[in-house]
Amino acid sequence: MSDLLEVRDLSVRFDAGRASLFAPRRWLEAVRGVSFGIDRGKALGIVGESGSGKTTTAMAAIRLTQAAAGRVLLEGEDLLTLDEAAMRARRKDVQLIFQDPYSSLNPRSRVRDILREPLDLMEVGTRASREERVRELIDLVGLRVDQLPLFPHQFSGGQRQRISIARALATAPKLLVCDEPVSALDVAIQAQILNLLLRLKEELDLGYLFISHDLGVVRYLCDEVAVMYLGRIVEIGPRAQVFESPRHPYTRTLLAAVPSLKRRKSSGFKRPAAIEGDPPSPINPPKGCAFARRCPHAKDICLSIDPALEPRAGGRVACHFPVS
Amino acid sequence: MSRILEIDDLAVDFDTRFGRVRALDGVSVGLEAGETLGLVGESGCGKSITALAVMGLVPTPPGRIGAGSIRFCGEELIKAPKSRLRNLRGAEIAMIFQEPMSSLNPVFTVEDQIVEAIMLHRPIEYDAARREAVALLERVGIPEAAQRARDYPHQLSGGMRQRVMIAMAVSCRPRVLIADEPTTALDVTVQAQIFDLLGEIQHEFGVAIILITHDMGVISEMADRVAVMYAGRIIEEAGADDVLDHPQHPYTRGLIACIPTLEDDASLREIPGVVPPLHALGRGCAFADRCAYMDARCRRERPALAPTGHHANACLAVAEGRL
Repeated sequence: MSDLLEVRDLSVRFDAGRASLFAPRRWLEAVRGVSFGIDRGKALGIVGESGSGKTTTAMAAIRLTQAAAGRVLLEGEDLLTLDEAAMRARRKDVQLIFQDPYSSLNPRSRVRDILREPLDLMEVGTRASREERVRELIDLVGLRVDQLPLFPHQFSGGQRQRISIARALATAPKLLVCDEPVSALDVAIQAQILNLLLRLKEELDLGYLFISHDLGVVRYLCDEVAVMYLGRIVEIGPRAQVFESPRHPYTRTLLAAVPSLKRRKSSGFKRPAAIEGDPPSPINPPKGCAFARRCPHAKDICLSIDPALEPRAGGRVACHFPVS
Repeated sequence: MSRILEIDDLAVDFDTRFGRVRALDGVSVGLEAGETLGLVGESGCGKSITALAVMGLVPTPPGRIGAGSIRFCGEELIKAPKSRLRNLRGAEIAMIFQEPMSSLNPVFTVEDQIVEAIMLHRPIEYDAARREAVALLERVGIPEAAQRARDYPHQLSGGMRQRVMIAMAVSCRPRVLIADEPTTALDVTVQAQIFDLLGEIQHEFGVAIILITHDMGVISEMADRVAVMYAGRIIEEAGADDVLDHPQHPYTRGLIACIPTLEDDASLREIPGVVPPLHALGRGCAFADRCAYMDARCRRERPALAPTGHHANACLAVAEGRL
């Protein structure tokens, strides 16, 4: 059991309406029975393609999207059963950084006020101590105190993401949910933010729930990795396990698809494990393993029985025929 | 090999509220028949403007070609009449864009759109053009091509739409295909499919590709030659292996060292600071403020792209052996 966050059998479904007046209601099964844990000071990366349920999983885990079933234990306390007031108070332990540093900062607020707002809302300390905390925060993320009176548009994308991070850290959270925090940034700036996140994790003993479609980024920052496909975790384990010896055919495909500096056109590179087609629709998902229709190793059983996530050599894999 | 596209000392200006800025400055690069040239750099460095200039599609105003020449098979395109450019575009030089949904017309079926491209440039009967459109869709890997041809763009997935764009782009057997970040909007497994397809298409049709990307991994897998751009200029150009294994310009070095890869455990080297805005470029090297090897001369002089053997770079520190 993980000591910071423990998510058990989390499911999220959205009403997808009816095809016609008398047709049965359709459900979009965004997250289907997902379980994972995060220890204090550790980062769990969730990777997967768009529509795999990465973001919905994270949002349901911090109760920004309503879960259909499951439990979310933050230091042993189930967030999903808390009443509104108790949940509000608990929010200072779980904060969030978004993908787009342009739309997630109020253009009319000065940086000072953006950073102080969470402290005011949570009624942390005295007025003077909040001002002091704001100065501490701006320094922590590598910006200068004299930049506090400025507005967000006066900063570059990378600097804005630093402001978002400072705001998220204002209430001294224990868990930071990062939803594609570097995808909107240029590669050179990405490295700056990733190194900042890595340093903060060590210094503040922060837990990260880190969502990204970029496997290189996840490998750089995360201790554990969960691979999602169509609302399910298909493989989860320590970073080295998932990246060096992936067991699920989808994980292998995903890794083989990432462009690599080691593969050269000049040496006649051909991709070994290319798969065809697109992921199936999450509306009334197919029976059996969701990946079966694209999987090179699929057999009859894969089309009828959805494999459970079973422990295998250090991690857990949901596959009838895991690759060794 | 012969150069089919030759860009020489190209400059593109834009009128902005900061006055006239030079978005592209002294860009010279050539494209050999059948090769893939990678254009790489951060956003705003001029990759896409270079592509638009080749297509004669720089929005005018506010943009205008300030200087230079673009020759396609020896023919000057800069002052060419609009009608001539229209004949070349799509037929000889085709382009695919980042977001396939916004480059397809939502109210026509994909078949109609490919047929239109074919009939515009070739003397061919409607029925024959339709058969060819379906064959092309089959070639780019669209399952049940005959049925899917009747689909509208919104009925297709992002990857399928980009396949349609590729089918349309190669429908007239162009000699140059410009692909401007063709997979940015796509998932990584679909991205791999599209790049594999582009590789096959190049092999089969012998088309030369200008591939615009910010991803050095893509360059590695796809490109024969690379031009690295920074703030509207080419700052390094060489064969892909030379650039990736022995980058010369400090910016190129930084660009390679700052990508988290699946093979390397080293900590990421950052490039400090940000790209300077084009209206605030000084006299010196545009990268100077972010460069660890900068000295007084870098502030005064803007280095030209100096060839050292077959590997060109624009850096005074490299020229003076200070690196």
